Amino acid sequence: MRLSEISESFRIAVDALRINLMRSILTTSGVVVGVVLVVVMGWTIKGLDAVWEQTIGIIGRDMLYIDKWSWSGGKNWRKAEARKDITMRQAFLLADRMESAESVIPLARKWGGSVAYANKTVMCSIQGTTYEYGSTPAGTCMEGRWFTESEDIQTQNVVVIGYGVNKTLFPDGGAVGQSLKIAGIPFRIIGVVEKRGFIFMDFIDNQVFIPLGSFQSAFGFFDRSFSVAIKAGNERLLNIVRDEAVGHMREIRNVPPLDEDDFSVNEMQAFESQVSTIRLVIWIVGIGLTVLAFIVGSIGIMNIMFVSVTERTKEIGVRKAIGARHSSIQMQFLIESALLCMTGALIALPISQLIVGSAHWIAMGPLEQEWMSVVSPFIPVDLLLIAIGVSLIVGLLAGFLPARRAAGLNPVDALRFE
Amino acid sequence: MSDVSTDFIIDIRHISKVYEMGDEEVHALRDVSLSIGHNEYIAVMGPSGSGKSTLMNMLGCLDTPTAGLYLFNGENVSDMDDDDLADIRNREIGFVFQTFNLLPRASSLQNVELPLVYAGLNKHDRHERAQEALTSVGLGDRVDHRPNELSGGQRQRVAIARALVTKPSIILADEPTGNLDSKTGQDIMELFDALWRGGNTVILVTHEEDVARHARRIIRLRDGLIESDAPNELHASL
Repeated sequence: MRLSEISESFRIAVDALRINLMRSILTTSGVVVGVVLVVVMGWTIKGLDAVWEQTIGIIGRDMLYIDKWSWSGGKNWRKAEARKDITMRQAFLLADRMESAESVIPLARKWGGSVAYANKTVMCSIQGTTYEYGSTPAGTCMEGRWFTESEDIQTQNVVVIGYGVNKTLFPDGGAVGQSLKIAGIPFRIIGVVEKRGFIFMDFIDNQVFIPLGSFQSAFGFFDRSFSVAIKAGNERLLNIVRDEAVGHMREIRNVPPLDEDDFSVNEMQAFESQVSTIRLVIWIVGIGLTVLAFIVGSIGIMNIMFVSVTERTKEIGVRKAIGARHSSIQMQFLIESALLCMTGALIALPISQLIVGSAHWIAMGPLEQEWMSVVSPFIPVDLLLIAIGVSLIVGLLAGFLPARRAAGLNPVDALRFE
Repeated sequence: MSDVSTDFIIDIRHISKVYEMGDEEVHALRDVSLSIGHNEYIAVMGPSGSGKSTLMNMLGCLDTPTAGLYLFNGENVSDMDDDDLADIRNREIGFVFQTFNLLPRASSLQNVELPLVYAGLNKHDRHERAQEALTSVGLGDRVDHRPNELSGGQRQRVAIARALVTKPSIILADEPTGNLDSKTGQDIMELFDALWRGGNTVILVTHEEDVARHARRIIRLRDGLIESDAPNELHASL
């Protein structure tokens, strides 16, 4: 194949597309839809992954929570409700017996407690816990600090507030050092936890943390189910730690050997399968629609290429008469078909960017979905290249039969064609 | 008759062409033999259905014979494949058609360059030779014009330039004045005369006596057979 022929083919193809501009654009609409679907789907999955990464960071990959309730909730809710509470004694026994974990932290929770500052009151979850919780991802402070071991032991009335509570009560900042009232008791604010709440767990920002002793004074431990936060210290230790924790808990709660656990072990892995299911659904639906769009698109392109061959039969005859080989004619039409498809891809890219950009802007702006900030507002470059590559291949496939017909025309008949 | 001779550009021996039209067989050419030498000026004449067009397609290597032998510059063309035929056409034959057959969206220069594109010449050489060919047909100042900006006569001159640009062994013109008024047709015929005088081999396919009388040898076909093949008496005295 000669360079002169290739550049000639490009010139002809561009010319042919320009002459029939409207027809070309309409023909590529299937490809446009296909490319838009590929790109938007890819962006969605990438976004989901980014949000998931962020979410997993909130809890920590090496964290387990032993709880009466299961995070997966739903169908297990009734079963969980029937369970006996995890008592303070059980929680501390577990903490005592655990050997493989870095830290084991009992948590007492009061749902819907009122927290008041000046004339403002918010309803939030109040957590009683130990100084160790400050070293887990969930206890990382953006202002101030977590309570110390001595403050914990001495049961001082200090509080670390969540990001959401801080935003509500202290929109202008300056929370640390102020005094709050929890259940009527004054607490000094010593820290503010950084923003943890993302799409999957927005409630996390809406809580405050106080030492367990202070919690007991304010709310008591009677009729209250404890949680135990276990920090394995390393993601690889998670299985060992989980096994140990389950063993101790069964023993502590006297679970007969063949019965199932009467408590839940909550961890981020529980969500992993849900996230991959969502991914899979997006993939299947997206790929299905994309393939459909490309099939429809390629049929349209093949059709218009056959029309183009017929329209230019005489021209093909002339070219053959003056020495165009089989391959020259074939390539001319393949290039035209590929360019037609690439035009579709070029039209699709700004449309995809518009969709992605708008979705991002709407989520961030009017809908105030701050988790969106971890998702890029731009279509990813690799998807862009994939989309262009796929449309190129579709173009070549769709152009194959028309190009072969053109190349196979008998020059005598083609020249006689009117 | 002699053996294979390189004196001839075209050497056709006992050629026949049969078309299948449904159940019927149409004998477009029956046992035609013909040889054409360098710098001949020939008119192929005959009424429609005489096999004139079939012979022209054969001579132009657009089609291959059903039987017989066709030697082009000593090369056997009769059983060449399509791509080899395309190369022969590109190198050896310059076509001029009744309807000009220029590419409508290409400039004169681009039209004339086209055979050189398929010959694989680089851009610079193509431009140079196409410009040269256009100048030789008197259109050196019309290189950027498109066919629709040219008169019929000018279009045919572009077509002739395209035929000349590869410096082919023969120029094969099919009713070259058929779509032109008589004055313009006359001009075009004078151009063919000049090409012939310049050393080119020209074959005209026509049914017009006015066109044929320019040629030095006239071959008349009827019913797929050569009826006569003789020097043009008009020029006998020259």
